[in-house]
Amino acid sequence: MGVRESMKDDLLCSGHVACPGCIEALSLRRVLSLLGPDTVAVIPPSCLAIIAGAQPLSGLKIPVYQPALETSAASASGLRRALDARGKKDTQVVVFAGDGGTYDIGFQSLSSAAERNENLLYFCFDNEGYMNTGAQKSSSTPHYARTGSTPAGKASRKKNLTEIMAAHEIPYAATACAGFLPDLMRKVEKARGMRGLRLITLLVPCLDGWGVPEDQGVALARLAVETGVFPLYEVEDGRGYTLGGPPKSRPVREYLEKQGRYSAIDEATVEALQAEVDDAWARLVERTSKAAPASASS
Amino acid sequence: MNQAALPPTAWTTGTTEANRTGTWRASLPEYRAAPSPCKNACPVGGDIARWMQQAKSGDWHGAWQTLVDHNPFPAVAGYVCHHPCEAACNRAAYDGALAICALERHIGERALKEGWAFPEPPRGAKRVAVVGGGPSGLAAAWQLRRRGHAVTLFEAQAELGGLLRSGIPPYRLPRAVLDGEIGRILAMGVGVNTEAALKSEAQFARVSTEFDAVYLAMGAGVPKRLPQLDYGQDWAVDGAGYLALANAGRAPRLGARIAVIGGGSAAMDVARSARRLGHGVTLISLELEPQMPAQREEVVEARAEGVVFVPGAMLRSVARDGAQLRLDCVHVNFAGGNVDVIPDTGFAIEANAIVTAIGQDPQLEPLRARQKAEDGLLWTDTHGATSREGVYAGGDAASLQRFVTHAIAMGKRAAQAIDRKLRREPPAPLESKAPVPFGAINTFYHYPAPRVPGGRDAASQTAAAVAEASRCFSCGECTLCDNCFNFCPDMAVKRTAGGYAIAEEYCKGCGLCVRECPTGSIVMTEELR
Amino acid sequence: MSAAPGRTLLTGNHAAAWGARLARPKVVPVYPITPQTPVLELLTEFQAAGEMDAEFLTPESEHSVMAACIPASLAGARVFTATASQGLMLMHELLHYASGARAPIVMANVNRTVASPWAFWPDQTDSLAQRDTGWVQFYVESAQEALDTVLQAYRVAEQASLPAMINLDAFYVSHALEPVRIPAQEIVDAYLPAYAPEHLLDPERGESWGNVVSQEMYARHRRGLGEAMERVPALAAAADREWRERTGRGWGVIERYRCEGAQALVVTMGSMCGTAREAVDELRESGVAAGLVKVRLFRPLPAAELRAALAGARDVLVLDRNYSPGAGGVLHQELKSLLYGMAGAPRVHGSLAGVGGLNVPPAKIAELVRRAAAESEPKREAAWA
Repeated sequence: MGVRESMKDDLLCSGHVACPGCIEALSLRRVLSLLGPDTVAVIPPSCLAIIAGAQPLSGLKIPVYQPALETSAASASGLRRALDARGKKDTQVVVFAGDGGTYDIGFQSLSSAAERNENLLYFCFDNEGYMNTGAQKSSSTPHYARTGSTPAGKASRKKNLTEIMAAHEIPYAATACAGFLPDLMRKVEKARGMRGLRLITLLVPCLDGWGVPEDQGVALARLAVETGVFPLYEVEDGRGYTLGGPPKSRPVREYLEKQGRYSAIDEATVEALQAEVDDAWARLVERTSKAAPASASS
Repeated sequence: MNQAALPPTAWTTGTTEANRTGTWRASLPEYRAAPSPCKNACPVGGDIARWMQQAKSGDWHGAWQTLVDHNPFPAVAGYVCHHPCEAACNRAAYDGALAICALERHIGERALKEGWAFPEPPRGAKRVAVVGGGPSGLAAAWQLRRRGHAVTLFEAQAELGGLLRSGIPPYRLPRAVLDGEIGRILAMGVGVNTEAALKSEAQFARVSTEFDAVYLAMGAGVPKRLPQLDYGQDWAVDGAGYLALANAGRAPRLGARIAVIGGGSAAMDVARSARRLGHGVTLISLELEPQMPAQREEVVEARAEGVVFVPGAMLRSVARDGAQLRLDCVHVNFAGGNVDVIPDTGFAIEANAIVTAIGQDPQLEPLRARQKAEDGLLWTDTHGATSREGVYAGGDAASLQRFVTHAIAMGKRAAQAIDRKLRREPPAPLESKAPVPFGAINTFYHYPAPRVPGGRDAASQTAAAVAEASRCFSCGECTLCDNCFNFCPDMAVKRTAGGYAIAEEYCKGCGLCVRECPTGSIVMTEELR
Repeated sequence: MSAAPGRTLLTGNHAAAWGARLARPKVVPVYPITPQTPVLELLTEFQAAGEMDAEFLTPESEHSVMAACIPASLAGARVFTATASQGLMLMHELLHYASGARAPIVMANVNRTVASPWAFWPDQTDSLAQRDTGWVQFYVESAQEALDTVLQAYRVAEQASLPAMINLDAFYVSHALEPVRIPAQEIVDAYLPAYAPEHLLDPERGESWGNVVSQEMYARHRRGLGEAMERVPALAAAADREWRERTGRGWGVIERYRCEGAQALVVTMGSMCGTAREAVDELRESGVAAGLVKVRLFRPLPAAELRAALAGARDVLVLDRNYSPGAGGVLHQELKSLLYGMAGAPRVHGSLAGVGGLNVPPAKIAELVRRAAAESEPKREAAWA
């Protein structure tokens, strides 16, 4: 489906205070336009919460509930059950959480919601760090990246959320980004038509946190995919792997050299990162070829 | 404190649309239809990107209308234009320039096949004389007639077309195409006088008096000659004369081998026409091959047809032995108009005839007293006006840019200036805008695809034509793809009738719209407050 | 297993579960912790048997339980949950959130010792450590009272738009079996109208909760919360009166036992009240004019009633089955501050009795009363009993 054909009215409002060129705001805009107005969003502390506005102004045209940082999935579960109890089973409950609130402090409650297969559509806006508080490291920050709390480069690798959620065998786990809008929108539409715990991780280059010029966010998201750093794939019921997007075709270097957070790494590190990306890609390809497509989930 | 006036402490119902984030920015995007580089390079300034979009969507009639707006001879141009547009094409830096010329030919030939006519022009009171029925004069006639002026053509030969008929051979420009495109102009109602050369000052004066304006496009009909040749002999021939006869099917008999002297298109036409008539041909040019003014493809085709090239050489003298000529030549360095003989490089060529195609000059004698000439050409200003009030000039008579499409362009330019003068309007300012650079094109949106193969024939099939037209970046010509609208994080790009506008109260000046525009139609401008 | 309404034997936990069932909550998130587990087990049995129409969910921690409760309440569902000790403390962050959100959640808390060290004994430090969180707090001493108080708590919570907790001492109340009257559903339905809040998380309403506020808004919001808290003693008294009219059972916001002409008053909360009644009887028989004031509504403290009840006595002995390091007994502190400046205020003595679940027999209480009366001057801090 083309971007133009799938356009619905915007549910994000102008006047929000995201940075100029913010890919988080752009991604939110696109996702919201597909969800439609019969939706309540749960947004924990994050850049998105700031974008959601200061009382009495809201940046979204749907109701928003802002819970404590570690509770997005739990809060959404309670909200979901209340709406169900009131007979509003078609009103969507969606979570728009950052990587901090998903990979770290919010991980426990997410895992439980997944185990219970709560009927939630969960979006992780992954800018690979605690950007709202000044770009400190999260467990989503990639290896060797400089952050506010890892000035010499992060010593550990990025946690693989999609694989962890796939292991929970949730109906749908996928990756997407604003660099490939038709793919993103197809996945949102697909997830929207399912029930149960569906999670989509959106790579969101953070201009300030990653050291990227204002107009380069979309281009960088594309590079992340084209270098294999952020593959676009879907996992259904933990078994059916589908690898999409363009094939891995560029060296990781092309991605790293565009970002200030990698400005201090040396050649040996670049090679090490290339090896990591190659290995992860190969394993993903293997999973994709081995896995049989899943049967339809409810 | 008045509690009722305070905002609620919880339960948000307002909207951030109250925040005018436009105050943040230091630069603002502007929708700017900068010319595509092909348009800038095109002698007639054709709206190439626009007719490409029309062709791509199957609107062939619309594409033809866009083409003829600047040039009434799209099919002719498709056959013979030197296509500087393709050298300038931004896609050349990506995966190969667009086959613009082949596409123009496709559209031009479709128009002829479909019988598309020019619309009935409005009635007008002014009368314009066009002297010269070649491409320049005919183009001027089209531009004047469509604006409602009554046009009368004066042509020296028996048929219209100028060098399109007498210079360019039929194998390069089919006569049906030429006749069809000329006929389409005449069908608008143009007065035509053939075999009506203006030769005397008195004749020019009368035309000036009887008409409200005059366009002089008589061409350059006086061939340059080599001083060491006796053109009174039947073995020494002017190239233009040779072509005129050969194109009419009455080529002179010149013996087994012809030596052609010259490096331009006319020389190629002579050489290749002679080959088709069975002659062996040796072509001698001052220029080395890369410098030859002829179009590259003409040189390639000539060689493939068996023309023997002797580049970087000069004829010194000719010795005759019955029907056999011995051409005494020497190699030269030819740069900046200067010929430097290279010592000890003399050589001889055998031939039965020599045909020179080394350029032509206009016949200016009847006009010298009436208006200014410079360097052997009629002088004009930048709008085509001569030093004489009401008299305009263009084409080979007024310019050394001896390409067909330059002649057409000058005809258009002069016609527009005449039209404004007749309506008592000031001349239009000449604009020169920087074209869209390759760096402004986001190639992510243009899937790599090589140029359609096949030279001028490449786009004769509709499917190939559409596929090739689809490769056009549409530089500077917005295609309403909605990228700017879709990629704005602040919803600061609004759709309007026929395009987009920036909501200045919200735009933060990030430039994502500029970056994601696939046609380079948006430019960031610095905003000074 | 489900008992038909009527008179039956129930533990405090099961009585609380019955109260919850009768209130018809729509969303019940639960997480088990000793000694609360029988509450959730009975509720899930009700649901499995089709006797309770509610959305049950079992998140992975108490923090997530409370996280689920709050937006469920804001979305218009009546919510119930239960916890104890560590679970309550894990919820602490969100207890503040709930009151700030003015969500009328009702929760049963079983008072159990707080780690570390690890222990499972009756001790009220867990809930008293939440006294600043903006929750209404009741302390009950019997299974019947637990059942009735759950229902009264919903009334008060929904009228004040504040969350409320009902505290039961571990084992002494939670696990002790006693005869309980279960009211008919019709009585409860008449007593508790359907929950219909003024604001809702609902796309049809288009209002959001949780946007960041300015300093002025924050202060104003807290004042609003405070004003609601101030209305609670009157609301609680009215709720109790009406309950008495419908069922014949009323508990008061405080209870006064043999306080007429009392010179020494024992003041305490929860199961200790039962023991204290026996001590008062014993003291009265031996000629000491003693009485008991039971504090049932602890937060907000019913100031007027307490001042009236304590005025006139010479000595007040506060028994705290809790301990706040550096401050002593919590009720002791609260009452001293309540009586400060009151003309003719009694001498207030504090005793840390039963901290950690230590057994406090009636004789011990009587001894503490005599000792307090004999003091020339009350000690400033509560003494370890």
